[in-house]
Order: sequence, then structure tokens, then C-alpha cells
Amino acid sequence: MKKSRLRFIAPIAVVTALVLAGCSTSNLGGTAEADPAAEAGPIKIGAVLDVTGVGASLGVPEQNTLNMLAKQLNDDGGIGGRDVELIIIDNQSTEDGAAKATSKLIESDQVDIIIGASRTGPSLAMRPIAEAAKIPMISVAANVAIVEGSEWVFKTAQNDVVVLERILDDAEAKGYTKLALVRDATGFGEGVADYITELGAERGITLVTTEAFEPSATDFTPQMTNVRGSDADAVIIWGINPSAGLAQKAYMQLAVNKPVYHSHGISNQAFFDAAGESANGVIAPMGRLLVADQLAADNTQRKVIEQFQADYNAAYGEQPSGFAGHAFDAWHIAVNAIDAAGTDADALRDELESAEWTGISGVFKMTAKNHSGLDASALILAEAEDGRWNLLKD
Amino acid sequence: MLTDFLQLTVAGLSQGSVYALLAVGLIAVYTVRHVINIAQGEFAMLAGLGSVWLTAAGMPLLLAILVAILSVTLVAIAMDRLIIARVKKLTPLISIILTLGVSTLLQAIMLLAWGPEAKGVPLFPGTNILIGGVSIRSQEFWMIGALVVVGGGIVLFYEKSRWGKALRACAEQPVAARIVGISPVAASVLAFAIAGFVGGVAGVVASPIYLSLWSGGVLLGLKGFVAAVLGGFVSFRAAIVGALLLGMIEAYVAGYVSSGLRDGAAFLILILVLVVRPQGLVLKPTAVRV
Amino acid sequence: MTHATTPAPAGISSRRARFWTDNKSTLIGCGILVALMIVVPFTANSSVMNIVVFAMIFALPAIGLNLLMGLAGQVSLGQAAFFAIGAYTHAILLTKLDLPGPVAATVGVLAAMLVALLVGLPLMRLRGHYLALATLGLGFIVMIGVREWDVTGRTTGIYGISRPTVFGVPIDNSGFFLWFVTPFVVIGLILALNLTRSRAGRALSAVNDSELAAESLGVNTYALRLKVFVLSAGFAGLGGVFYAYQVAIVSPTTAEFHLSVSILLMVVIGGLGSVWGAVAGAFLVQFLGEGMRDVIPAIFPGATGEVQLLGYGIVLILVILLLPGGLHQAATTLWQKLPFAGKRPPVDAHAHAAEDDTTIPLLPAVSTPVAAGEPILVLEGLTKRYGGVVAVNDVSLTVPAGSILGLIGPNGAGKTTCFNMISGALAPTEGTVTFLGQVISGRKPHVAAAHGLTRTFQNLQVFSSTDVVGNVYMGRYRKGSAGVLRGMLGLQSGEQSAHRAAAYEILQSMRLTDAADDSASDLSFGKQRIMEVCRALAAEPALLLLDEPMAGLSSTEREVMAELLRRLRASGLTIVLVEHDVAQVMSLADHVAVLDDGVLIAHGDPESVRNDPAVVVAYLGTDLDEAEAELTELEEHA
Repeated sequence: MKKSRLRFIAPIAVVTALVLAGCSTSNLGGTAEADPAAEAGPIKIGAVLDVTGVGASLGVPEQNTLNMLAKQLNDDGGIGGRDVELIIIDNQSTEDGAAKATSKLIESDQVDIIIGASRTGPSLAMRPIAEAAKIPMISVAANVAIVEGSEWVFKTAQNDVVVLERILDDAEAKGYTKLALVRDATGFGEGVADYITELGAERGITLVTTEAFEPSATDFTPQMTNVRGSDADAVIIWGINPSAGLAQKAYMQLAVNKPVYHSHGISNQAFFDAAGESANGVIAPMGRLLVADQLAADNTQRKVIEQFQADYNAAYGEQPSGFAGHAFDAWHIAVNAIDAAGTDADALRDELESAEWTGISGVFKMTAKNHSGLDASALILAEAEDGRWNLLKD
Repeated sequence: MLTDFLQLTVAGLSQGSVYALLAVGLIAVYTVRHVINIAQGEFAMLAGLGSVWLTAAGMPLLLAILVAILSVTLVAIAMDRLIIARVKKLTPLISIILTLGVSTLLQAIMLLAWGPEAKGVPLFPGTNILIGGVSIRSQEFWMIGALVVVGGGIVLFYEKSRWGKALRACAEQPVAARIVGISPVAASVLAFAIAGFVGGVAGVVASPIYLSLWSGGVLLGLKGFVAAVLGGFVSFRAAIVGALLLGMIEAYVAGYVSSGLRDGAAFLILILVLVVRPQGLVLKPTAVRV
Repeated sequence: MTHATTPAPAGISSRRARFWTDNKSTLIGCGILVALMIVVPFTANSSVMNIVVFAMIFALPAIGLNLLMGLAGQVSLGQAAFFAIGAYTHAILLTKLDLPGPVAATVGVLAAMLVALLVGLPLMRLRGHYLALATLGLGFIVMIGVREWDVTGRTTGIYGISRPTVFGVPIDNSGFFLWFVTPFVVIGLILALNLTRSRAGRALSAVNDSELAAESLGVNTYALRLKVFVLSAGFAGLGGVFYAYQVAIVSPTTAEFHLSVSILLMVVIGGLGSVWGAVAGAFLVQFLGEGMRDVIPAIFPGATGEVQLLGYGIVLILVILLLPGGLHQAATTLWQKLPFAGKRPPVDAHAHAAEDDTTIPLLPAVSTPVAAGEPILVLEGLTKRYGGVVAVNDVSLTVPAGSILGLIGPNGAGKTTCFNMISGALAPTEGTVTFLGQVISGRKPHVAAAHGLTRTFQNLQVFSSTDVVGNVYMGRYRKGSAGVLRGMLGLQSGEQSAHRAAAYEILQSMRLTDAADDSASDLSFGKQRIMEVCRALAAEPALLLLDEPMAGLSSTEREVMAELLRRLRASGLTIVLVEHDVAQVMSLADHVAVLDDGVLIAHGDPESVRNDPAVVVAYLGTDLDEAEAELTELEEHA
């Protein structure tokens, strides 16, 4: 027994010899480069996205968009003559992955700003790390908890509260008084039930039942059975694809015949892929991207949306989704702010707090108090029909 | 209320049928080799994803699922011959690590070959029906039917045929198998073939509504294991009953308590059964072999 | 008697020297590890640095799992569950209750251990596959639990864990963090190494060789395994604590099955039972995982997600098929091929010193709790049925202390079954066994052993993973007292050396000292048998059960054995032996009991039994004359 112990030092020594082979510094916190040097090198933009895992249908188009925009920007000469280096890390749709990626971007890549993550949970995991390091971060996820009370975190997806208001206004107009909620069990769906109760009270709408599902779920029978058994007038399914699409499919298979609202989490082709014919008749609030062709000709967003659609289609041979739009907006807000304020973190943050941008998801107007920058006007209501969205109300 | 209960029961029975088929595969291998095959659930996913791939390539549905099931059967036999049979002294520790290795390897292969998304085989022919407010999807008939035909067939094979009886005897005394004329190699190959076959069947019938996912096999295999434990790892009938019960309990927990706790129910049952009655539901306490 | 010959108390300097020889390789190994960990932050690039930090964090659960798998022979597929419990508890106490770091960390580790204790109490009774799958289920339960509970932050988990501050220095970069975690890994490593060679560690490795023999020497397998299970959970919990600090968030993924698999892989790659192997395995798996994540997408374009599993699966299978001992085995083989790897000095130099001691008694010590002639062992109505077959039928007899009882009978008469019921290896269907006034039947063998009853086995049960002296030394288990905790702290070297010396004395009394350092499984059959007797004697029993002690022995060896048994009897030991060599039994035993078809057909002094016609018929055949002739022949032969 004892001899072997000594023998074991050898492999450890070998492993560490490998470690020693890759030589570098700055593992001990000291920023190796002095600030002037940093001002001369490329501007570093980090992104943490759900490229794989349950959030992949969000993260992949976001990644595509950022890559495309970074290339465009550098082809045009970068920001103030400085190249932009985009570092995208896949968090595999996990909170741990997002936290690790954020630490890596801050500690070893020393990025100037971070974009991400695609979903609420990973974004919440990143927030305290970015705040502790005092690095501005722009999330592309929805839940308002990501930015609430934060000095350093911004976001570009429409607030869930705003989305809910839009849904509840429509429900009130149609005379629904009882709603059922089937929500994503992760961060995206958390708090939704409370908002509905709160916002519904002003409109005489009550929430009668709440069910939850994992984004990885494939069977929704128990949830939908309960919804069917409730006395709700209409149902809100609140999730991202593919699970939201599959939930819609199960909903129809179980012969629940109440009108359905979805969230803006389904604004991509994956919804129709998963739900198929069951999608017909679904009403969802969303940004204007997917109904751009139906917008009024003088709509302020129409030009930027159509340009983006053309560029994205040229680069990837498909239409961009709403999530691609969130990344587009995050990128431009970040780049504009760096252009105006440089890479000093405090200056950059102050600049972001006064950012204004007419983008894909709406017309942004950030303030010190509002790190989301969008109001209900950013949303339209659309109805699904045979694999496309029809603009109901602008 | 009754409608809801019946609806959940239907969902539980169809899901339970899948668990039952996997439990049959687990017991088949365990009786002959005393190996608990952690890769059992991967057989199901492999067959499901394989069928999706074949149908997407233009193969007719029926042919695609047959090819997929037979391929998985071959994979199971290969697992026995190339890996399990190579170890001379198969302790529980070694067998767990080995089948875990196979399980992990199969998962990785599925991930590389077919990507990380869950995919479903097209629905089998049939129409959904609605009886008294309870909706029964046509695929659920297929799932329960698969259990009746395949699971029932295997139970009959074990109880009525000479080979089947010999395989059962293997659990008690390996010599018995020789007497009936089955070499240990043949017995082992047959057991793994059965495991692969039932796993494959379970995988394809469940895929249209429960979808196939590269990483979905572990949890599914474990549910099969829970059912097998309920059958004391010896009795096919008890395991099948246990599997159907498990499916229903899960559906009730999901429907009446919380859908998030659904998977927890199975494992609580597992630990409770192991603690209270490790010999399973049916056998006398003296027959325990832990 | 034996204890009197313990080496005289060593002086301070020699005690220091002994500490050095005992712990040389541990100290050198830890020294190198620490030195490397000091250097790494200055030289490694950030991604290597990251790998090293996580390797050190995961080394902790890997060491724990290695103890459980290598030492206790149990597989856990739920190591990540304990890792997660440690991480969550720590995170919750830090972020929600604002407790100081050390308190939160301690509670985190304790929480993991407590959960292990609660599930281990029922589960450790199960063997083999069942524990593995139950722990796998536990992993899922923990994951589901944290995902559904508000306190654990549901799917998002607990975030916003701030980095610790040590002596006023904030640990806010990976270099400092590595230095923060290294001392804990080193301490954990030393504790684990100490445990593997402690009394408890040796007992567990004996259990892996032969559970039956170990239990009959007094090892309470269940309790020891449970302790190791709890301990291994503690290591996992500590790993979780550091993970929470490093990642700054704890989410349900920490309880995931794939994490348990990767920890298992670390142990398997490193080599089951090798603590250093677990550490090396942790590094290797981290590098392998990171490497695969880079390499596989290059080979398979478009591959995303947890592609490193491909490597994990292949490595798990290949290691088991080709290199079951893992890195440990590879390193050992490699070392032996090196030219400078000469013969190593004996492991325990001081133990050999005992041989030169002139005051060694030639007879092993025995315990004599009752006066000679008093009943020491009483069987009442002892019966064992297997289904319809009655193996032992209503056997009642009393064995007086200080005597030798010979139990004879034809093959299949139920002698060994009877023996197994006396020693506790089998529970009787009916009837009782009373030893020293205590009913011991139906309880585990370690209970009988604790009362002073030890045995040998007809089918030898040697501890093949250790040497001859190690086997006999295990016999001393009952006389030791150091538990898992003392073992881990290394506070038992005095006790150990005393027992080792005692083991040598016993070997000497059976003239086996030459083979003391040989591997037990390399001995001849006869020598193994003698070794088993030595092992049983090492426990200083009051009653010795010998199952065919003469089988396979040469005639000289038989003489030595017989002589030893007589002298042991003279010193007060009670002996019950089952033996085929009837002549030997007749010449040795004070009383002879004859079993036939499970029934006690005769019991008395050798002379009367010899002349009992029923015995002769039953034992030697139906024809009385022929039988007598054979018996006479046997006697003459002897």
C-alpha cells in the first residue's frame, strides 16, 4: 500500500508539468496591462448565451446575430478606430455555466461589457458577479427581476409585466374574468402568477389555477387536465420553445377548448415546429419583428427591422426570431454607449442609463430607474395562423 | 373530478407501459448475468432517435421502427459480447461501472449523431378518441398495446417455453441451463437481445408523445428499475404491475400535487421499498437475495 | 501476556524517526502537491488555472467516493447529491442568514453527513447493486427537491454568494482561491490516507476480501460501512462548499447525475482504493473534459453540449476492461520497471524488532472467562431447515470450558451448518446457542466474536489483499479500540505496533515467521490453514471453532497443530473442532460428538464413542464388522 503512495506523485507531477507548460500571468487579480495599454487594444465585448440545452432556440439566433454584427462593425472600422473583439461563451442553459462564464469573461478576458444571458435564470446568476466586478451587463432575457434595483445590469427583452398588461387588457376587452396559467418552472415563469393576480385585480380578472412545467418537459397531460377541469375562461401558457409549443400541442390533444394566450417567449419558428396545427388561434404579444410586413409604412421601427431581416437572411439563409432582435438591440445599445463614453466602466454605465435606441423590440429609452427602457408600446398582439403571425392590434 | 382522475389514469397507464417494458428488459438481464443494466433506458432513446432519423430520411414509418428496434437489439448483444462478457469476475461494483460506461457512451453517441434537441417519431396511425370527456390519444393505445403484446409475449416465453424456463433457472443455478441445452453464452446473448428488443419497442412507441432525447434514458431506465425492484427483480408479472402502478402514481402526483414532484415520487417509492421490502411486492421474505 | 512484550516506550527522537518512516511518502507527496499549487497561479494561463481550481475542488468528493468504493466496496451513484447538499446549505446560510463563512461551511459539511447518515441507516444493509441505484435515486430526489423548494431558490438556485475573506485578504481571484482550497484538500488527503491504513481501514479491506471471515473476527461491517458512507458524504459536502464559493451560484445542476458520473470516473481512473489516485483522477477528468470539449467539435462539426461524455464513457469502459486498477496500477507497474526502483526496506521495521526479543512466550494468549469444567457453550434444540430439508435436527449439547470437543460425522451430516449457527454466520430455524451465558444465535458473527468466540473455515477465507502478518494482525481487531476518527487522525500507531508485534509472536508459535511478509494468497494450502488458525488465535478467544484444521496439512504440520491445540487447552482455551481425520480427533478430544443426517447420535468421551455401535454403523457404513476393521486400520495408520 505504502509504496504506491509515493508512486502516485509521478502522475500528479506530470499533470502539473503540463500546467506549467502554458505560461501566463494575472491569475492573482492584478490587471497585467496598465490602463493606457488597455485603451489601445481591441474593445472586448463578452457574451454569455444559452447556445445549447433547453434555451438553444433562443441562444443560437442570438449568437448568430452578435457574430454578424461584430463582423459588420469591424468591417466598418470598429469603434473609433479600435477593433471589437466579441467573446461568446455557451452556458449550456445552466445557471452554473452562466456564472462560470461570467467570471471567466471578467477575470481572464477582462471584457468591457457583457451581453446575456438568453434566459432569466442564467441572467440572474450572472447579475451579482457583474455587479461585484462593476462591469456593465445587458441581458437579453425577460423577467424584470434581472434589472430591478441594479446599478450595472440592463436588458433589452420586453418586461414580462408589460407583456402581461397587454394580455390582460385584451382579456378584459373580451370579457374574460377567470384565467388559468401554465408557466415555465424556471426563472422566466417565476413571479408571473403574482403579477397576474396584481395586475388582474384592477381589471376584475382573477387567476384560478397555476400549473408549471420544466423547459425540458415533454408530457403535459397532468397540467392540461387540471386546466381543463378548472372554470377558467382563458389560459395563458407562459414558456419558451420547444416546451411552450409542446404544451400547446398537448392542450389541443386533450380537447381543452378555451382561448389561449402565449408570452413573447414563443416568437420564433420553433413554436410552429413543435405545436404544428395546434398553434392556430393562439394569441401572443410580441415585438414587431415577426409582423414587420404588416406594419404601417411610417412605423419608426419598420426600416431597422427590414434592414436586419435582410442582413440576417443574407448571412444565415433564414428569418431572424424575436430573440435575435433582443441581441441586435443589446449589441447596438452597447456599441453606441462605448462609442460615446469609452470603456471606463463607470462612464459606460452612466451612458447606458441615458441610452435611446430605435430597435427591433421597440423604442428604448433607458433611465437610471428604468434599465429596461421599453413600455407597452413596444408590443403588438398577433394571432397564429398556419405557421405565421397575423397582426391583430398595433 | 372523475373525468380528471380517469384522464390522469390513462396517462399513467400509458407511461407505465413504457416503464414495464424496460423493467422486463432489466429483469431478463439480471436473472442471467446478475447485472443491473444502467444502459437499459438508453436502448429506448436509441430506438426512438434512430426511428426519427430513418423516417426523416424518407423510410416508411413501420420499416423505420422495425429497423431501429432490430438495430438496438444488435447493440444490446454487442454490449454483452464486446464489453460485459470480457470481464471474468463480474462484481456488482464492476458491473455498475461498466454498464454506466456504456450508458454514458451511448448518450454521447446520440448527442453527437442527432444533436441536443428532443425529437419525436411521427404519430402512429389511429385517431384520438373522447369518451365521457376523457381524451385518449391513439398513441396511448399503441403504448399499452405494445406492453400487452411484447411484454405478455415475453412473460409467456419465460413461463411456457423450454428455453424460457431454462433462462429463469439460470437465476437459481447456472447448471440448470446446461441441462436444458443452453450454453451460458447463448443464455447471456438471449437475455441481452430481449433487453434490447423490449427497450427498443418501448422507445419507439413512447417517442411520438413523450419524445426521445439523448439524455432521457437514465431517468427512464431508473423508472424501469423501480418497477423491477417492486417485482423483486425476479417476477416479471409483479414488475409489470408495479410499473403500471408507478405510472399512475406519477400521474396523480403530477396532477394533484405538483408536476415538479412527479419524478421524486418514483424515487421515494424506490427508497421506501428498498428499506421496507427489498424482496419486492410478491415474494416471501425468505426469498430475498440482496 | 502478549502485551508485556510490546517494545519499550521509544524516546522522543526515535518516535520522530518512526513518524518519518511511517509517513514519509505522504509527507513527500503532500509537499510536492503544495509546492505545485503554490507555483501554478504564477505560471498557468487562465483556462489551465480554471481547470486546476476545479480539479482541486472535485478532488474532495472524489477522495470521499474513493473511500466508499475502494475501502467499503460500495458504489454510490449519488455523490453529487451530497456535493449539492453541502453547496446549498453553505450558500443559503451565507446569503440568507449572513452567517460567517466558517460556520456556514461547517454546517454545510455536517448537513451532507447528516443526510448520508439518515439514508445510510437503512440503505447500508443492502448490498451490491441496490445501494448504487438507491443513491442514484437519492441524487434525483435532491435535485428535484432543490428545484421545487423556495428556500433553495427553485430552478435558478442560490446566487450572489460573495467570495470569502481570509485574514483580511479577499479571495477574489482564482490564484488566491487555489491557495485557499489547497490546505483543505491536503488535510482531507492526509485524513483519508491515515484511514486506509488504520484499524478501521484494514478491517474494511478485509471485509472486501472475505466478509464472513472479517465478521467472525469481530468486524461490524454494517457500522463501519455506514461510517465510511457518512464520511464520504462529508468530503463531498466540503467540495460543494468550495464550489459554491468559486462559482458564486448553486443551482440544481450541482446535483445532476452527470456530475456523479464524472466523480465516479475520477475514482475509477485513479484506481479504486488509492487516495492519491482520486486526486490524480480529479485532475485527469477535468483536463479530459476540457480537452474533449475542444477536440470533439473539431472532429464532429456542429457538436454541442456535453460532448465530453463520449470520452467519459469510453474511458470508463476501457479502464475497467484493460486497467482495472486505474492510474494507481499503471503507476505501480511503471515504477517497478524503473531501474532505480530497488527493493524497499520492510514496511514496519520496528515490528520485526520484536523477533529479537528473548522474552517471547511460545504460546499465544487466551482468555479464560470461566473456570475449567464450567459450561462455556450450550446448544439447545439447534435446528436448521432449508425448505423441506432438515440439515441439523434438534442438536443439544454442552461444552465445558478448557476442553476439546471433536465434532465428527460423515459428509453432509450437518457439521459445518452446525458450526455456522454457533459462530453466527447462519441463523438457526429453531433453538439457541448460548455462549458465556449470552444467547448469540441469530445474531451477526461479530457479536459472537466480541464475546470471545472465533473460528476458522473449511473453505479457506484468507484476506488475499494483504500479507500473512496482515492476516493475523486482522485477528487482533477485537483487541483494538481505535475507531474511524482516531484512525483518520493517525492517533493509533502505538496500538497498531503493539498488535503487530503480537501478530508476529503468534506466527512464531506456529513457525510461520518466514512467510510473514508473503502475500497470503501465495501460501500453500496447508500454510494458509495454519495462518487462519493463527488469525483466530490472535483474537485471544475463549472459544475457538476449528473447521477441519488438519485438512491439507503435512504430517509434521499436523503434529505441530495438534501439539499447539493440546497446549492451548492446557492454558484454558476451549476448542470445538470439526475434523475428517477421526484418529486425530480421537487422540486430541476430551469429548466427541457424532452427527449423522443432522441428528446427534452420540456424545461422550472418545473411548465410549469409539465403541458405540450406532456410531460405527452410521459413520463408516452398514456392515459393522467391516466398519470396525476400517476403524482399527485408521488407528494403526495414525
